[in-house]
Amino acid sequence: MKKNILHGIIAGTLAAVAGIVYQTAYEDAMFLDFSSVINPGSIAGASLFGCMLMAFGYWLLVRFNKPNLKAWLNVLITVLSFLSILGPLGVTLPLDVEFPEMFPGLAIPMHFFPAMIFFGLYPFFTNSTLDER
Amino acid sequence: MKSIKHILLVGSILGLSAFTINRSINWTISETHEIKFSSSTGDPEGIFKTITGDIQFDENDLASSKFDLKIDVNSINTGNGMKNKHAKSKKWFDAESFPNIEFQSSKFSKTETGYAVTGMMKMHGVEKEMTLPFIFSNNVFKSTFSVNRIDFNIGESMKKVSDEIKLEVSFPVTSK
Repeated sequence: MKKNILHGIIAGTLAAVAGIVYQTAYEDAMFLDFSSVINPGSIAGASLFGCMLMAFGYWLLVRFNKPNLKAWLNVLITVLSFLSILGPLGVTLPLDVEFPEMFPGLAIPMHFFPAMIFFGLYPFFTNSTLDER
Repeated sequence: MKSIKHILLVGSILGLSAFTINRSINWTISETHEIKFSSSTGDPEGIFKTITGDIQFDENDLASSKFDLKIDVNSINTGNGMKNKHAKSKKWFDAESFPNIEFQSSKFSKTETGYAVTGMMKMHGVEKEMTLPFIFSNNVFKSTFSVNRIDFNIGESMKKVSDEIKLEVSFPVTSK
């Protein structure tokens, strides 16, 4: 349980940092300002929430002793990450926000950061008992 | 000497009054203008960000008043990039071929609530005479009217997008 929580928190924090760095770089490079729509707080909150949800899923597998479902859980997380891009594609921004066509380019990559970092960090939090099964 | 002073005084008054009249009918559109469009179905909804043109308006001299306005179709903003691109495409406004929505006045009249201006509206290559109501108060022109997009061959009639598009225009002006 502790390992799962730590995994979720560290992955969420790193995903938040990656998201905030990406937002800064993207807006600077493109001379854009989406700060009224997306800000460091919302990026950090969403990243932590996503990673904690994944950690909860992993914990459930251990809790109910279903390690063989781990691959399917990963597939589900990946599919959900892909489906979540419909959000930034379909969102209607406030009309005073300039260049809404550039918004998906900012938001879509961020939707993959939590899963990518969570999966990337997984080996550091591997439960050997779970893996042996 | 007294008569020269009188002549100068009368001349100054006449000169200044002429200048005042001239100033009061030429207006510059402020940057804080708003051109909103919406429909009963809720889609489309958005704004046009850029309007340019000449406005000459004097409440006491409607005969010499004139609106010559141009809205930049490429400045459309629906809040969604894909919708913006779609709106500018050949299927809708065809902004490449028809980059402006134009309105040129021909007649002004006073109404119970304010004023009405009649003129030619040119949109999507189609010209149509329209009479638009408006009010002018505190140096702000405001108008709300509807346009039937089918009259201007903009898109096809469909359930999802209503034919009648409501426009709410508000542009503060400053005298030139």
